[in-house]
Amino acid sequence: MSVIASIRARDVAELPGKRDEDWRWTDLRGLIREAPEPSRPYSGDLPAGPFAGLAAEEVVIANGEGGAHVDVLPAQTRRLALRFVSQGDGGHAARASIAVEAGGTLVLLESYEGQGGYLGHAGLAISVGTGATLERIVLADDSGDGVTVSQAEVHLEPGARFVQTVLTSGARRQRLETHVRHPGGHAELRLDGVYLLSGKRHADLTTVVTHEGLDGATTQLAKGVVRDQARGVFQGRIVVAEGADRTDARMGHHALILSDRAEVDAKPELEIYADDVACAHGNTVGALDDEALFYARQRGIPEAEARALLTEAFVGEVIDRIGDEAARDVARAWVAGRLAGEG
Amino acid sequence: MAAVKQTVEHVQSLERYKHGFVTDIEQDFAPKGLNADIVRFISGKKGEPEWMLEWRLGAFERWLALEEPDWAKVSFPRIDYQDSYYYAAPRAKEGPKSLDDVDPDLLETYKKLGIPLKEQEVLAGVVGAPRYAVDAVFDSVSVVTTFKKELAAAGVIFCSMSEAIREHPDLVRQYLGSVVPVSDNYFACLNSAVFSDGSFVYVPPGVRCPMELSTYFRINAENSGQFERTLIIADKGAYVSYLEGCTAPMRDENQLHAAVVELVALEDAEIKYSTVQNWYPGDPETGKGGIYNFVTKRADCRGDRSKVSWTQVETGSAITWKYPSCVLRGNGSSGEFYSIAITNGRQQADTGTKMIHLGADTRSRIISKGISAGRSSNTYRGLVSAHPKAKGARNFTQCDSLLIGKHCAAHTVPYVEARNGHTVFEHEATTTRLSEDQLFYARQRGLSEEEAVQLLVNGFVKDVLQELPMEFAVEAQKLVAISLEGSVG
Repeated sequence: MSVIASIRARDVAELPGKRDEDWRWTDLRGLIREAPEPSRPYSGDLPAGPFAGLAAEEVVIANGEGGAHVDVLPAQTRRLALRFVSQGDGGHAARASIAVEAGGTLVLLESYEGQGGYLGHAGLAISVGTGATLERIVLADDSGDGVTVSQAEVHLEPGARFVQTVLTSGARRQRLETHVRHPGGHAELRLDGVYLLSGKRHADLTTVVTHEGLDGATTQLAKGVVRDQARGVFQGRIVVAEGADRTDARMGHHALILSDRAEVDAKPELEIYADDVACAHGNTVGALDDEALFYARQRGIPEAEARALLTEAFVGEVIDRIGDEAARDVARAWVAGRLAGEG
Repeated sequence: MAAVKQTVEHVQSLERYKHGFVTDIEQDFAPKGLNADIVRFISGKKGEPEWMLEWRLGAFERWLALEEPDWAKVSFPRIDYQDSYYYAAPRAKEGPKSLDDVDPDLLETYKKLGIPLKEQEVLAGVVGAPRYAVDAVFDSVSVVTTFKKELAAAGVIFCSMSEAIREHPDLVRQYLGSVVPVSDNYFACLNSAVFSDGSFVYVPPGVRCPMELSTYFRINAENSGQFERTLIIADKGAYVSYLEGCTAPMRDENQLHAAVVELVALEDAEIKYSTVQNWYPGDPETGKGGIYNFVTKRADCRGDRSKVSWTQVETGSAITWKYPSCVLRGNGSSGEFYSIAITNGRQQADTGTKMIHLGADTRSRIISKGISAGRSSNTYRGLVSAHPKAKGARNFTQCDSLLIGKHCAAHTVPYVEARNGHTVFEHEATTTRLSEDQLFYARQRGLSEEEAVQLLVNGFVKDVLQELPMEFAVEAQKLVAISLEGSVG
């Protein structure tokens, strides 16, 4: 059962569905009745990506064609835009591997762009060495008819730093998955996310962090806003293996439901096999605070504007945590655009 | 080092299960194994009407088509359902009319158990004994039901399920299986086919049940699976508090316990259901011999403004697999779940609750405290869901886990599903070990390490203990301490 196998073999029976516990809220099997043809090569001019001008290097993987193998050498500092572009109604799978060697620094500006009713898969293998830093900012602006599954496997060395912020507007079905093997050893991990969904869009942020050694820290903050008939899914699992003592892991997921037919499903999971740990998660789902809204209106702010203001502030907490200033500005503008566009 | 050794020995002696003995009362057995004839045998033995037999046979047929679930975070060798007895009743003595007629061995058993609720006095007929109605389930058949008359004066029906089937067939037919359908799950379906006995409670409209109802479950016959069936109905505006407590003798073979408990709360009714579960957890070293507790408990808050509150203290069983749930169907209905689950030795627990918000303005509250020690595994698994019509649904969930020792495990698996824009769901969870600072402080004040741990643990579970009826809370607090002794030092 895997999405890649399904695309390659053109076999819908390989797709994960709601009977698979990890996919219960992101059912691909029930959605895709017929295996798509393999995607044709990308045709036409490629528009500028959302991070245009922010990185000296740009790698484009269009309809699964091309690939990326990026190796950041020790003491190197690089910025890379990695674009997964989809077009048409076919199926395709893309792969990329990124290694930041000990002491290196990389800002990875990753985007998902597309038009059409495609079925796309992206697989990333990421490794971060001792003393190295990787900041990964993912902006997923898929087509409302497309189906995207992105799966990243992240391997950290002790003393590494990996921080990630995923921003998405969803797709017909979309799952952005990150698996991290955390060695402890004061390696630092942050996994943040934002989903802003409208129409009938669906987004699923799934993360699995496995703490395998002493002295590991993980923080996670995901926020979502859903309206219309959209559906947001958050699944976060933190595993602390036996012996991975002095692990400190905190996870938060907070969602706003702004319409009566929208849905949010969440499963923040802790799986702990060591006793000297401090792990916590918090999860809230609700509507905008009526009192805050009332206060804003009392101050003369029209209701629509007040709602946008409060929603933006709600999401802003995650955006503020983005370390790279230029990327943070892009993210903030993107959030403002999404929220304003739907009023 | 002498003190350490002494502690270790003390602890080892504590871990021997206090209630490990088997009462030798002659039993009637059904032949080993499970087939339609056994189902007929059980039904016939209990003198059930035709409709009940049909119901059982229907369940048995569906059970054959079901597959045993395996999604819980527990592991155990496959159960051979054909290698069990499905019926064991104390030899009938022409229906005991008074307590004097009760088998003295049975009374002796209660004595050995040190039943704390003064049932001893009640059973002994002491004048002025407190009023707790005890429906004693000795193995599979209710042997004696006390205080029946006083309850009858209030219009409350409290009897064994077999009696209810005979005396109140209309009520049973109306409600049995209406909360937990026959084929709800594998174990509930098995229970529907072969259920032995259990309690039946009906509280008529507007009646506040004059006493706490309590039952003692006790598994006695070697190899007899227990399939209790409990049905409690609180009619409009009624109130009832029900207590369930368990102890079981020591044995070497794993024993399956698959009960079904159904609660129905109609308009403005309230049911409070409390459980203290202390079944044999198995050998602390190997885990061998403990009880499998695979129970289906569900409440249907059918009427508007109805309320159901589950409180459980789970300290026993080799494997506990249960999720007392509330279906909040009536508008403005509310559900509560307070739980303490303690695992030690090789115990495994996968427990939690489901709060299904269907009606408008429904409320639920979940407080779960899990404590794992030894080599045990303790999982909280819960679901909170709001359907599109459940406008104004509110939930607050808090699940905290405490780890004592390097080899135990604690898991938290909450599912949250919100399907409308007017719900407020809040969930928080923590997993930690006992605070070194607090332990140090307590020890500095002259408490031994064990006392200090007990003190802190009692603080940890306090929120739940205070939800228990008084007499249960005392027992539960002791149980918490006993369950954890041997986990420190």
